[in-house]
Amino acid sequence: MINLTINGLHVAVEKGTTLLEAARFLGFPIPTLCHMEGLSPYGACRLCMVEIGEAPRAKLVSSCTYPAEEGLKVRTTSSRVLRARRMILELLLASCPQSKTIQDLASAHGIRRQRFRQEYEDCILCGLCVRICEEQMMAKAIGFRSRGENRSIGTPFDAKSDVCRLCGACMYVCPACQLRCTYNEPEKAICGGCANLTPPCIEKEQFDDMMCYMDPCVACEIKKD
Amino acid sequence: MKQDTAILNRDNLYAEEEIDSKDILRILEKYARSRGGLVAILEEIQSKYGYLPETALRTVSERTGRSLVDIYGVAAFYRFFSLKPKGKHLACVCLGTACHVRGAQEVVEEFEQQLGITAGQTTEDREFTLETVNCLGACALGPVVVIDGHYFSKVERSKVKQLLDQGRKGLDKLDIEKDERIFPVDVRCPHCNQSFKDETFIIDGYPSLKANVAMDHKQGWIRMSSLYGSYNVCTEHEIPEDMIVSFICPHCDSEIPGTSTCSECEAPMMPMPVDGGGRIKICTRRGCKNRMLDLV
Amino acid sequence: MKRMGENGYVKQSFVQDTETLRLSSVNELKELRSILFETLDENKPRLVICAGTACHASGSNGIIRIVKKYILEKRLADKVALRITGCHGFCEMGPFILTEPQQAFYVQVGLGDVPRIVEALLSDKYVEDLLYRDPATGEKYYSRDDIPFFKHQQRSILGLNEKIDPIRIYDYIAQGGYSVLEEVFSKQNADWIVQQVKRSGLRGRGGAGFPTGLKWEMLAKQSGDQGKFLVCNADEGDPGAYMDRSVLEGNPHSIIEGMIIGAYGTRATEGIVYVRNEYPLAVKHLKIALKQAQELGLLGDNILGTGFSFDIKIVIGAGAFVCGEETALIRSIEGKSGEPRQRPPFPVQKGVDGKPTVINNVETWANIPLIFKSGADKFATVGTENNTGTKIFSLVGKIKNTGLVEVPMGITVKEIVYDIGGGASGKAELKAVQTGGPSGGCIPANMFDVSVDYESLAEVGSIMGSGGMIVMDENTCMVDIARYFMNFLKNESCGKCFACRKGTQRMYEILDDISNGKGTLEHLDLLKELAEVVKDTTMCGLGQTASNPVLSTLRYFTDEYIEHIEKKHCPAGVCKALITYSINENCVGCQACIRVCPEGAITGEKKQRHVIDAAKCIKCGACRSVCKVEAVDVV
Repeated sequence: MINLTINGLHVAVEKGTTLLEAARFLGFPIPTLCHMEGLSPYGACRLCMVEIGEAPRAKLVSSCTYPAEEGLKVRTTSSRVLRARRMILELLLASCPQSKTIQDLASAHGIRRQRFRQEYEDCILCGLCVRICEEQMMAKAIGFRSRGENRSIGTPFDAKSDVCRLCGACMYVCPACQLRCTYNEPEKAICGGCANLTPPCIEKEQFDDMMCYMDPCVACEIKKD
Repeated sequence: MKQDTAILNRDNLYAEEEIDSKDILRILEKYARSRGGLVAILEEIQSKYGYLPETALRTVSERTGRSLVDIYGVAAFYRFFSLKPKGKHLACVCLGTACHVRGAQEVVEEFEQQLGITAGQTTEDREFTLETVNCLGACALGPVVVIDGHYFSKVERSKVKQLLDQGRKGLDKLDIEKDERIFPVDVRCPHCNQSFKDETFIIDGYPSLKANVAMDHKQGWIRMSSLYGSYNVCTEHEIPEDMIVSFICPHCDSEIPGTSTCSECEAPMMPMPVDGGGRIKICTRRGCKNRMLDLV
Repeated sequence: MKRMGENGYVKQSFVQDTETLRLSSVNELKELRSILFETLDENKPRLVICAGTACHASGSNGIIRIVKKYILEKRLADKVALRITGCHGFCEMGPFILTEPQQAFYVQVGLGDVPRIVEALLSDKYVEDLLYRDPATGEKYYSRDDIPFFKHQQRSILGLNEKIDPIRIYDYIAQGGYSVLEEVFSKQNADWIVQQVKRSGLRGRGGAGFPTGLKWEMLAKQSGDQGKFLVCNADEGDPGAYMDRSVLEGNPHSIIEGMIIGAYGTRATEGIVYVRNEYPLAVKHLKIALKQAQELGLLGDNILGTGFSFDIKIVIGAGAFVCGEETALIRSIEGKSGEPRQRPPFPVQKGVDGKPTVINNVETWANIPLIFKSGADKFATVGTENNTGTKIFSLVGKIKNTGLVEVPMGITVKEIVYDIGGGASGKAELKAVQTGGPSGGCIPANMFDVSVDYESLAEVGSIMGSGGMIVMDENTCMVDIARYFMNFLKNESCGKCFACRKGTQRMYEILDDISNGKGTLEHLDLLKELAEVVKDTTMCGLGQTASNPVLSTLRYFTDEYIEHIEKKHCPAGVCKALITYSINENCVGCQACIRVCPEGAITGEKKQRHVIDAAKCIKCGACRSVCKVEAVDVV
């Protein structure tokens, strides 16, 4: 077992436990967007930052990817952590204002102003869809392309994927696109946020054999005739 | 002045339908055991075709067993790879910090204006692709521009048009009559020390060098330009591209042994004494331009 | 052909056919070296010509051809020799010819100058008009070593470049290369090697300055059942830095020797050199060198009959700055896209293919043979107490003598910029020096007394980095520089961390606004806050240092930012939206500017002062670059 303290509380966890798991075990809330149980930790959204170590060498790390270490002192709500978290939420909100999840998180953290130029992006590149497609659906239909500001998620060559089974898991896990997916006009229903897939709901004739995780379908409100 | 580099060497332009899966398989074979696997494979495909054709990536995916998503992801991540065909000529402007503070941005703008495209694009006639690069490491001479592997230093806005004209004409072509950097060498047989010079057969305005070549159970003569820097040859039988041949002295009939291997293509290099001192090493692979004139 | 301990084998094969020689013991290596020493004629007149990438760009290959032509035509091969080498450092002056043993240094040589130089060398005379002259004083130098640019350096690594043809392993061996292996292999003590490196105090030359010996010790302690890796990081991505390229191009065997020593000390089984593909010449020379070392029996199985096996492979990058980061580099070696991952686990625990791995920079590896040649204690006397040895910097930008300089650690920026670099290249005063590339910061001119070592540079808000030193003068706008680096970083960030991807994008947006005159004072606060959060919340070195260019320019050049915001004025005359071009009374009416103006914005009769129509002007600067009488003002 590994002994560490989180916000002054002592906890012993098994080797390989992440700081996020340890903190949640103790009941300390840490917001996350790119984390999901059952998927490998990725560390993309940077919301789960916690402070470790002691001044002057204290630093912030992403708790979802950082393994518990013997004797580590972790602070989940220090002023440095909160400042970082608020700035990241402000950045998220400025880029993806339509996401209910992000709106709620921002509101809970007291984000009251918007200092960056407003954008309307579909995707925060958290990679949940990529990981669920690979790790749970064993499909590997979508992946990351390019890098930096041009990074995006989609299928190779932006063509309809040969390996996609239209399971809809990617949409199910997406934290950014929920709101827009409830449109019921087909062209708007295409959720570019997670993938350039044809959403299952549009191919009505295939609706019967679809392995849709959304039951009832949260992606669209089209009822089969 | 030609920088030997596979990276910028695109004599041929391939369209998607011209991709031969045999070529791709050969490349896969070559890198089956080497490090850097996928990246190296894609680098070679890119060097061959000037871009990464979709069919090639699909073949790589099928053969290596790696998912197309992974391969496409790697291809899209690195700057060197291009998923779109490029132009016949490649102009590359360095935007390193040293070049930037000396006005490289203006040079890029001038290229963009002259070509009517923005950096990263290819002109409609597929003549030029314009690219920028983060740093070429020739920082003392900025701004640096590379056109088809030829480096140009201290480029100013006003020089751009001229560079493009030179590029269009072809920078690899040497003016054999006027270029003072070209000169004839008289090569001898390492066994019998007799000259290969053949006064009766003129190439590039100079007596050629005559030898016999053997390949595929066939023998025939080859006459090479004696100019150091010219690759013009005449052969009795056509030698297919990429074929490795052995050279035989026309006087003593002994085969000229290849001792070291070519740094470009791994074929044997053939050393022969040169009149005046030193020796010249010639790569025995048809199409490889590796030659070394050693005076030590 | 193959035999053990046969007398005279080395000599025999050396005379007959050097290309099949394969050494099978340390003694044979010694024998080969002594034969090479004997054949080395230091007094034979020799032309030394650099064919590195920079000189190549200046046309040195043409010079080399002409030299060969002249030697063959005049049948001088017995009287004069030619050595083609890698970079000497003074790239500004290329192409040049250095003569031995005279040490005459002929700069910016033309094709037609070659015969004169060869003839002068043969009669031990000088071609006076081609010798290097100090541009300020006009003083002529007869010996290369007296030139201020070289005189104030300590060139323990770079100095070897001029003595070696990088594609000839015998050149390297004749200069004492691979001699360290003799000592290392005969001692048979891996721990001794690691301890020597620790004693030398050598710190990683890639930028962070982690003690190399400590790293090696950690690797040595790891279990080697599955194999261990040594990696040479030659993914020199910092724009404006090219030390590693020059070492790889000019002396690849020193890297190989360093890695063999490292492998013996840490019991590593496999070596990898990761080179960026923007350096084709370095790749070529390294490939040749590796092959030669393998053929000679210095790499591969059972090296020199010691039973120790180690081989090096080369991996070529595909153009991604982030691959200089250790974990991204490892992923790239594994054939994946270069996304960094969380550390721990550190590469020394889990690196390439999950095996223990040590990654050192090119220059670090080049230092290893030097430590063992001079002895660790002697090595440690160079530089300062915690910063031992020399460091190569690429001194570029608005400076008179641009090129590579190698100096002992702890020297001041001032000495580098003025004594070696010769000060500003133009009339404008120097304003700052940028070190550390996109991860570094700017050191303002009033702090040029700062000592160049890892700690002092960090204190003033920059970093040592891999050694780029970009000199800026009054015509360089600091907002533009910050904007330039942020543009670089937003493209080069792998994009995995939201904070890095969006943070760099937003910082660029704000800087762009400021340089376009749309900035507000609130922007400055936001910029600073964002920069600090990006520094705090990103995963890898790229993100954690991405704010440095912003924070350091904000720290030292706040006034410049404020001038952009409040007065809508760019004092350096760089930010296009904030400047206007006009023609002053110097104009002689030559119409040169009218001809180059792409927008037809300039009008004027011959011999009359011309006028720029501000409404049409796109501020491209074409007029200014062609004007011979400095009649175009930028305000």
